[in-house]
Amino acid sequence: MDVIIENLPQYWDGFLRTLFLSVVSGIIALIFGTVLAAARVSPIAALRGFSMVYVEIVRNTPLTIAFFFAAVVLPRLGITFQQFEVAAIIALSAYTSAFIAEAVRSGVNSVPVGQAEAARSIGMKFSQVLTLIILPQALRTVIPPLINILIALVKNSSVAGAFYVLELFGQGKQLANANGDAVVWVLVGVAFFYLLITIPLGYLANVVERKVAIAR
Amino acid sequence: MKAFLTRRKTLLVAASAALALSLSACGGSSSTTTNPPVAEKPSFAADSTMAKLSNAGKITIGTKFDQPLFGQKGLDGKPVGFDVEIGKLIAAKLGIPADKIEWVETVSANREEFLKQGKVDMIVATYTINDKRKTQVDFAGPYYEAGQALMVNKDNNSITKPEDLKGKNVCSVTGSTPAQTIVEKYGAVLVPAATYSACLEPLRNHQVEAVTTDNVILAGFVSKEPDAFKLASDQTFTKEPYGIGLKKDDKTFRMWINDQLEAFAKDGSYKKAWDATAGTVIKTAPELPAINRY
Amino acid sequence: MTTQVPGDALVSLKAVNKHYGQLHVLKDINLNVRKGEVVVVIGPSGSGKSTLCRAINRLETIDDGEIRIDGKELPAEGKELAKLRADVGMVFQSFNLFAHKTILENVTLGPIKVKGVSKAEADKDAMALLERVGVGHQAPKLPAQLSGGQQQRVAIARALAMKPKVMLFDEPTSALDPEMINEVLDVMVQLAKEGMTMIVVTHEMGFARKAADRVVFMADGQIVEDATPEEFFSNPKSSRAKDFLSKLLTH
Repeated sequence: MDVIIENLPQYWDGFLRTLFLSVVSGIIALIFGTVLAAARVSPIAALRGFSMVYVEIVRNTPLTIAFFFAAVVLPRLGITFQQFEVAAIIALSAYTSAFIAEAVRSGVNSVPVGQAEAARSIGMKFSQVLTLIILPQALRTVIPPLINILIALVKNSSVAGAFYVLELFGQGKQLANANGDAVVWVLVGVAFFYLLITIPLGYLANVVERKVAIAR
Repeated sequence: MKAFLTRRKTLLVAASAALALSLSACGGSSSTTTNPPVAEKPSFAADSTMAKLSNAGKITIGTKFDQPLFGQKGLDGKPVGFDVEIGKLIAAKLGIPADKIEWVETVSANREEFLKQGKVDMIVATYTINDKRKTQVDFAGPYYEAGQALMVNKDNNSITKPEDLKGKNVCSVTGSTPAQTIVEKYGAVLVPAATYSACLEPLRNHQVEAVTTDNVILAGFVSKEPDAFKLASDQTFTKEPYGIGLKKDDKTFRMWINDQLEAFAKDGSYKKAWDATAGTVIKTAPELPAINRY
Repeated sequence: MTTQVPGDALVSLKAVNKHYGQLHVLKDINLNVRKGEVVVVIGPSGSGKSTLCRAINRLETIDDGEIRIDGKELPAEGKELAKLRADVGMVFQSFNLFAHKTILENVTLGPIKVKGVSKAEADKDAMALLERVGVGHQAPKLPAQLSGGQQQRVAIARALAMKPKVMLFDEPTSALDPEMINEVLDVMVQLAKEGMTMIVVTHEMGFARKAADRVVFMADGQIVEDATPEEFFSNPKSSRAKDFLSKLLTH
């Protein structure tokens, strides 16, 4: 127990970095994922194809590969950065956006086709149909799965610890090495700080789920 | 479409380069091996370990099989390196030729056990002397003082000492002692990696200025890619004495080995062993450290 | 039979064909609707009448043939098509009001977003339209709070808000409880009297008698008869139409 209190500064440092990675990657992934979902239902075949191939490849390969590409392959191609957080954010948002795209797409599919037909019949363009009619309605059903994806993102950010970023899990590993006699408590501390982010998110998911249920 | 193909090709090249890199780890270094002159019928006190080994005409020595320049298994299945040379020198003094030595791979986790169980007669395996280990085994030597050093890109001449790294990115393994030292003592910015080999890519891509850990490990990387990397300096900025691990409470054998080490230093065979192995990377041959005769 | 001059046709279909896989749902359809005309399309289910209606604003694509609105051929997907659709009002069987928007917003969304009308003006027009179809007091509610009949009247107002050249009705009363059918038909009759060009797919023979200029009878993807209501109901020429009408009467 003491080991957690004594090393609060390290925990806090790791916690803030994990929070930073999660928030920035989460925002990018939400935007890019929604764009991918829009591409998937767009009338342009090339966009549909790109979106499908991207989502299927990224969704079906381990996150570590995304990290390897962002942190090792990109620099080899000349895209270097001094802050490895950049690589972590690229990997996490590229990976998470594929899952968000799938969630948004299933939300879009849950909106009755008549809604889109009515919108088209009053002369709306595809982009208007999507942003004014479909997505706002899809969002309600999509929010609970989206929050689950974001919770997974927070936990996935721990992979960054193996790719040059000292986030919460990396700090935990460091503390475990330095305090070999209190490894269990060190990890309890790590878990506690993850829960500090994920439990409120889970709670939010429950609230939204209940609200959506009432609205129906 | 063409741009896509070229891009894909580059990725492939990058991927295969990474693969080749990891494969080359199995290739081993090109250090030459030596065959020290074997003592003719040396005489020892009747019930000493030296007499037993000498009479048996063979010895079992534990070493690393995966540490380039010190103990790494070569293509013929026999380990080569500085640790191996020291083992051979000692065996020769017992009248045992190199081909009568049985080499056993020892790793950090099993060294004490192997000595206690008598599976090996001695261990020469980048084995750091410390008080905790001394409660379980004895150490002759030290025969070499390793220490924390810096590895940089071959073309980097601006970094020669740890003080040059203040505020700069340095890669090391998360939670390792060298990582702590470089941050706390020298104010570098740590880029933490899972393994030391994972530090090579950021260094190659100039995303970190240096990689830091024991000079022995770094020298191993340099020996594999001498055109890409080099040690920033032959000097180390911490001290890690390497000893020869022995079964506890065999003081006669321990003191005899200490004598031999001093003799090797005097007759030049210590330097010769170094130059043929680790000296290919760490050019400055070390002096034999002061023997700790406890 | 009314004589038709293609030149003044507001909606004109020429040799239109459509297949669903093996199924030939529209067979060589030729139809002209003049400005101000009310055409009622009837026929047994599966005759292709709904498909015909949806093809006119390209909610269904066609395999070959030509559809023209006010002399202009239907463009392919894109901005041009959206522009043309704004001129063709559509009322669906299942109302399809935007579920997340208020009644008022349902009516104003098109004028504001598609035509660029100011919100104040769109609100004013929308309220007038809602009053006209008798649901003005429902303006701030959500669609789900309204009855089917009220929703369908809102849907008509939504289409009218775009000031369309022609209105398409795809079985507008089929999903309604019987007591609500008339409130919707009354609005449609009123619309017809005001001179709106209308193509109405329906089973409501009363509406056809009262408001139609022409009745088009479809069976198996073909237009079998095209006549005035009196002619069609009193003296159907084809055996299929006779058969269809006799079944209606016995019900």
